[in-house]
Amino acid sequence: MLASRLIPRTAVRSSFRSKTSLPTVVSPVSRWRRGYASQSEEKDLVIIGGGVAGYVAAIKAGQEGLKVTCIEKRGALGGTCLNVGCIPSKSLLNNSHLYHQILHDTKGRGIEVGDVKLNLEGMMKAKETSVSGLTKGIEFLFKKNGVEYIKGTGSFINEHEIKVALNEGGETSVKGKNIIIATGSEATPFPGLEIDEKRVITSTGALSLEKVPEKLIVIGGGIIGLEMGSVWSRLGAKVTVVEFLNQIGGPGMDTEISKQAQKLLKKQGVEFKLGTKVVSGDASGETIKLEVDSAKGGKPETLDADVVLVAIGRRPYTSGLGLENAGLEVDERGRVVIDSEYRTKASHIRCIGDVTFGPMLAHKAEEEAVAAIEYIKKGYGHVNYGVIPSVMYTHPEVAWVGQNEQELKAQNIPYKVGTFPFSANSRAKTNLDTDGLVKMLADPETDRLLGCHIIGPNAGEMIAEATLALEYGASTEDIARTCHAHPTLAEAFKEAAMATYSKAIHF
Amino acid sequence: MASFTTATRLSARLVSRRVAQDAASRGFRTSAVSLAAQNFTMPALSPTMTEGNIATWKVKEGDSFSAGDVLLEIETDKASMDVEAQDDGILMKIMQGDGSKSIQVGTRIGVIAEPGDDISQLEIPADGKPAHDAQKVIPAEKEEPKQAASSEQTGARKQPRKSGEKAPPQKYPLYPSVAHLIKENGLDESVISEMTPTGPGGRLLKGDVLAYLGTVPPSRPEDIMKRFNHNSHLDLSNIKIAAPKKTVKAPVQEAPIPEERLVSLPVSLAAVIKVQAKIEDTLGTFVPLSTFLERAAEVANDALPLPSNYKPTTDELFNQVLGLDKVAPKASRGRYLPQIAALPPSSLTGVAPKPKARVDIIEFLVSSTKASPKIRTVPIQPGVSTGTNFFSLTVPREEEKRAKVFLQRMKTVLESKPGNLIL
Ligand SMILES: Cc1cc2nc3c(=O)[nH]c(=O)nc-3n(C[C@H](O)[C@H](O)[C@H](O)COP(=O)(O)OP(=O)(O)OC[C@H]3O[C@@H](n4cnc5c(N)ncnc54)[C@H](O)[C@@H]3O)c2cc1C
Repeated sequence: MLASRLIPRTAVRSSFRSKTSLPTVVSPVSRWRRGYASQSEEKDLVIIGGGVAGYVAAIKAGQEGLKVTCIEKRGALGGTCLNVGCIPSKSLLNNSHLYHQILHDTKGRGIEVGDVKLNLEGMMKAKETSVSGLTKGIEFLFKKNGVEYIKGTGSFINEHEIKVALNEGGETSVKGKNIIIATGSEATPFPGLEIDEKRVITSTGALSLEKVPEKLIVIGGGIIGLEMGSVWSRLGAKVTVVEFLNQIGGPGMDTEISKQAQKLLKKQGVEFKLGTKVVSGDASGETIKLEVDSAKGGKPETLDADVVLVAIGRRPYTSGLGLENAGLEVDERGRVVIDSEYRTKASHIRCIGDVTFGPMLAHKAEEEAVAAIEYIKKGYGHVNYGVIPSVMYTHPEVAWVGQNEQELKAQNIPYKVGTFPFSANSRAKTNLDTDGLVKMLADPETDRLLGCHIIGPNAGEMIAEATLALEYGASTEDIARTCHAHPTLAEAFKEAAMATYSKAIHF
Repeated sequence: MASFTTATRLSARLVSRRVAQDAASRGFRTSAVSLAAQNFTMPALSPTMTEGNIATWKVKEGDSFSAGDVLLEIETDKASMDVEAQDDGILMKIMQGDGSKSIQVGTRIGVIAEPGDDISQLEIPADGKPAHDAQKVIPAEKEEPKQAASSEQTGARKQPRKSGEKAPPQKYPLYPSVAHLIKENGLDESVISEMTPTGPGGRLLKGDVLAYLGTVPPSRPEDIMKRFNHNSHLDLSNIKIAAPKKTVKAPVQEAPIPEERLVSLPVSLAAVIKVQAKIEDTLGTFVPLSTFLERAAEVANDALPLPSNYKPTTDELFNQVLGLDKVAPKASRGRYLPQIAALPPSSLTGVAPKPKARVDIIEFLVSSTKASPKIRTVPIQPGVSTGTNFFSLTVPREEEKRAKVFLQRMKTVLESKPGNLIL
């Protein structure tokens, strides 16, 4: 194994594989069809979708010298993440947290504030400025890397040709030796409640409400629901989260951490109804009524709210893409079927990001984008799916990577646990922000790190350290023997490692 | 040692297929085309094995594999064994397919390339003599007693990663825990090469030193490594393919039971028949009626008015919020194909309600209840008369207008200038 790894990586990594493209069968119908507005030459790569998966693939392909076209229908690059996902939600989370802190958490710090007022319009504007700055930035990167950007909706004519209905009107078509599908996902609707993005909303509407609702019900206690619920709760709404499972945060979140998170969010005023199913909804009246049922057979109940946020998950988005014209398959959940190299049934068509398998996360989409281009260009790429971090940007933040305790238990894998609370960390103490803990799971014999789960201030940044440790197969002793600056929150991370392999100093 | 392994299956490993000399010579080559891949020959999985059958290849031609992946399953008269890759690579070609019988040890069964090689640029190497050098296999640790004998007899390389065997030197700085253990136990750094690294990229981990010291069971680090390797892959097992054609609209929409309408229009095919005859006379080719109809449908389907219940998508709503909705669609392409019959349809507007099973969205998300997709096919019927025919469509009520426009266009195209459809 090692011997061959020592072989000098020769400079013969050949240039782009010039695959002889399959002869396209021209059916009489399509030959007869009026010519398209314009017909461009065949590209090395055509990407459908300019979200994180698509735009990263496009830039990477441009850097690798491929002739690449990216088709995006939204009118702005960056997809869900930049336009209606990660970025705007984090803008609102950060600013609503500041607002909430100024309202409730200044006295103990020796700061006196006068009248604190919310200017929601201003907060939305700050969000829009961040979003537009970032999406324009990507457009610039496209230019810099020679990526052709077509604004329009792409759909397969056949497995080599894509028709684009241009946003400005008219039509064009592009051909690609290789094609990447990166059309992302959309919010799963709740049957019987029609989304109007004003009263019955998805996360998209929750990012643009015009006023703070009095009562907000969130259906679904996953990350997106809790983040958006936090925002409106901080801005003054009475928020109730209804979740079918018995824990919040989704199945990936460690149960112990999830309980802590629920406790802390509750303290901030968010109500929870776990193990509860929304049976039906009625938005015809002044308020929206939801019939809910306890999953364990409790008595049914009617809840009412001004605004209902449907956050029961996201589903792959392929409508209008004409997958059938290229003979491609989706599974029963609508995910485009791929192999381990992201190839669909047609081997020159690959698929990455939310529209296919794996966690629906922006950084996962980004990793896959790079790997897919490497497969096309070099025949080898890699994403380590065992080491993909997750972050929930509530306050405190929750972040994790690797396996959690309930998974290890379920698989009968032996483990040892080490924890360290932020209440014993000097920086957290000085910040007066001491809720939470760092929890590490390691192999009891070899001490190899198996997973790390953090709830606490800055957990989202701190998880990078655990991710690096996992990627390198580190033991908790390796972490503990690495110097961490004082006083930092990261010292809690180091101390948790010490607690795992021997003993923490400060606890 | 063998008793520690929990493996229940016999497994064998394909050891580094590149011999040192080969590596060296490769390094000097500069042209991709002159690069050769490696022959992969039938391995000897036991000292007495002279021939074997290939049960199945687990890796497809052109696929990459990683160290630890099972490449193929080989059967002998005694057992069936998985052959695992010891190294990353690409299976370039399979020379002996699934089910090949009685293949002599040393016979070429496939060709493999290095990870990252552009296999379209690689030459298939000549089929050399049964080569021992390109092929070394470690049978499973279970087989250990026999194995000891085998390595002497066949001259195959001994199992690496067993104490006594030198591992290549660590090219990275030692991990803090590793350096500490070595000092703490008074070990000489030279013994590092006797340890079996199980970390990513051949890195030596704390557990590997502990295993060397005998503090933890020797198989432990490798078991963990296998688990990590497994978790590092996307789980693509048990994919349930959806029924081929999914309805484009949201499958779980709890819309009121769709009412269907029958829309119909008389269309004369006389002009078409005329053109058809003319073409046959002048060009000698017969253009079937179906060709005319298909092409007319192509034209008629273009830019049809939207159904009356058309709902803007989430994106469109968001674009409205942003004021980006100048390009809201007013029309869209249809996918109609009319039914054609010489007789008028029994009733001109029929209502055909279709009951729909309620799908519980929560159940669907939590378990995996299948939402049954709706499939609508409208075949062309053969009973066509040369005179007037009735073209009809059964559509949801909301699409009535859309369907009418479609039929009207069919009529115009087929009755006025059918020749254009062929030119
Ligand atoms: C509220 C919210 C918060 C989130 N927060 C986070 C977070 O904090 N961290 C994180 O990692 N992830 C987060 N996510 C998830 C993240 O946004 C997605 O994982 C990521 O956007 C997936 O990228 P993608 O490129 O696969 O798909 P998308 O970003 O959805 O991009 C797909 C793009 O393709 C376009 N498209 C679709 N069909 C066509 C077509 N036929 N022709 C042309 N263009 C087409 C779409 O318009 C879209 O722009 C969040 C999501 C939401 C909704």
